[in-house]
Amino acid sequence: MSIPRSNYDPRRVCLNPFPNFTLGKHRRTVGIYLAGGLFALANWTFIDAAVLSAHAHSPYGEPDVPPPVHVGFADWVPGICSLLGMLVINLIDKDRVRGEEGFGDARAVWRARLFLFIGFALMAGGLAGSVAVLILKYVLHHYTEQYTYYGYANVSQNVALMLSAIVLWISQSVNSEYEYNLSI
Amino acid sequence: MAQAGIKTVILLSFVLAVGFLMIILSCALWSNWLPLLVALTFVLAPLPNAIFAHCGGDDFSADYEGSGPVDLGRFITSTVVVTGFALPLVLAHSEIIKPGACGMSIVGGALVYGTILAYTAAFRQEDSDYD
Repeated sequence: MSIPRSNYDPRRVCLNPFPNFTLGKHRRTVGIYLAGGLFALANWTFIDAAVLSAHAHSPYGEPDVPPPVHVGFADWVPGICSLLGMLVINLIDKDRVRGEEGFGDARAVWRARLFLFIGFALMAGGLAGSVAVLILKYVLHHYTEQYTYYGYANVSQNVALMLSAIVLWISQSVNSEYEYNLSI
Repeated sequence: MAQAGIKTVILLSFVLAVGFLMIILSCALWSNWLPLLVALTFVLAPLPNAIFAHCGGDDFSADYEGSGPVDLGRFITSTVVVTGFALPLVLAHSEIIKPGACGMSIVGGALVYGTILAYTAAFRQEDSDYD
């Protein structure tokens, strides 16, 4: 194709907000390490809440009352949604989403964008679901801070998973632009 | 650092031994052997990087580091490193292990992993001084 790489490409749906993000060479490595660290941090935050719930103590000052709430399967669902969304997002070929033709047909771009949408919808659904679990299961029942921690851990797990996916995406697409500029 | 000689090897082996000593003490002093998982985690941490490093990069473009397997190895490596630090904290938060055991196993794990990093940094120079 002889269409020049301009800032305004009429075939584009999503504009890349960082078109000329030419960072140093090691930024990609740092970004990927950062994404992996955030990923582990997210999951360990939630596992901390789950382990803490399994070894839960009675409320402070009342040693005879059993713990009123535990981490159940409903708490695991938003994290699983976010993990699936992250998997879907990272399985997509990023050049295909960017809409540069030259390989594949135009419908492949459409399908790639559909899968990208499904992935981001799963991640956003996970985040929204974690907030819903926090409010419906913990805040509305007026538990003490000892137990609402489970809900906050769930929310922070999903936020960190989303941050990890974003960092991974940016650090992987930055370098392709960089390499592209180099190879010209 | 290119002149890394036998003194470096001896120093690093001492640091490695001290790291393992800390981890084993953190298990044995409280007779709760769960922190030994930290040693296993940190020993396994550089493994994905080492395995996947040979999957990319031996193409004609030597400086191109944008292949998927290498990224996957780095991702898994940093995940495992954060796991090594997070596991004792989680165990100590739930009062399965004592806070002292948590601190000792974290310090020991950091020493072990730092030894591995320093070893690879010190002895990598010889075979790759052309780039």
